Amino acid sequence: MGEKRRNWAMWSGFLLALGAVLCNIILFVNLPGRHAVPWVSLLLALIALILVVRGLLLVFGQPRIYRGKVLTSIMSLVSLLLVGATIFIFFNARALPASASAPQVGQKVPEFTLADTSGQPVSLDQLFAAGANDLQASPPRAVLLIFYRGYW
Amino acid sequence: MAISVDPPDVSRDLSKKAGYTFTILSDPNAEVIRRYDLLHVGGGPDGHDISRPAEFLVDSSRVVHWANFTEDVRVRARADEMLAAAKNLH
Repeated sequence: MGEKRRNWAMWSGFLLALGAVLCNIILFVNLPGRHAVPWVSLLLALIALILVVRGLLLVFGQPRIYRGKVLTSIMSLVSLLLVGATIFIFFNARALPASASAPQVGQKVPEFTLADTSGQPVSLDQLFAAGANDLQASPPRAVLLIFYRGYW
Repeated sequence: MAISVDPPDVSRDLSKKAGYTFTILSDPNAEVIRRYDLLHVGGGPDGHDISRPAEFLVDSSRVVHWANFTEDVRVRARADEMLAAAKNLH
């Protein structure tokens, strides 16, 4: 009887694939250094893929030592789905328009008038003009415009 | 001020639930979003056109002092970064 060994490649592949997907949750926390996390997820997915293939080769190539063809196949499928999801999410999240003509530092932004949550029109230039209604407050020195995707 | 294609009632619900005090504006036809070249065609659910994420710090002459265009929608601006940019304004 040959010795039985645990299929380390299959298990570590699965854990890394799980880690790759969990990177998305880490991004949600919005920590400093978060810019690297998408690339970390891609790297984990790639290493996971290699390990999953290795795990399959072990269990089908050396069946006397590495047991559990069914378990390995199922785990490998799950891992591959996690890897696929990571890659899909990566490219989806980065499929953004170039916005080459968007206002850059030093340029002027276009004036606009848009409705606020009460339906009242708000104009950028009006906001900067001396506050007509509020005698105490001085107009803001700057305004932060945050364009967001919506549909929350 | 936050700007998206969401209509005012949707933004009002959001603002209420989250307890926001800042101004949220509606650009339902993405007219202003287009003017700022931020249109993300089909980027929303059901393939709606929405804005790509972007932040601008503008002074009273409407000049941009700081801008942020994320390459990944999951990587969002941090309040401390935006406040630091605002503090640098003179």
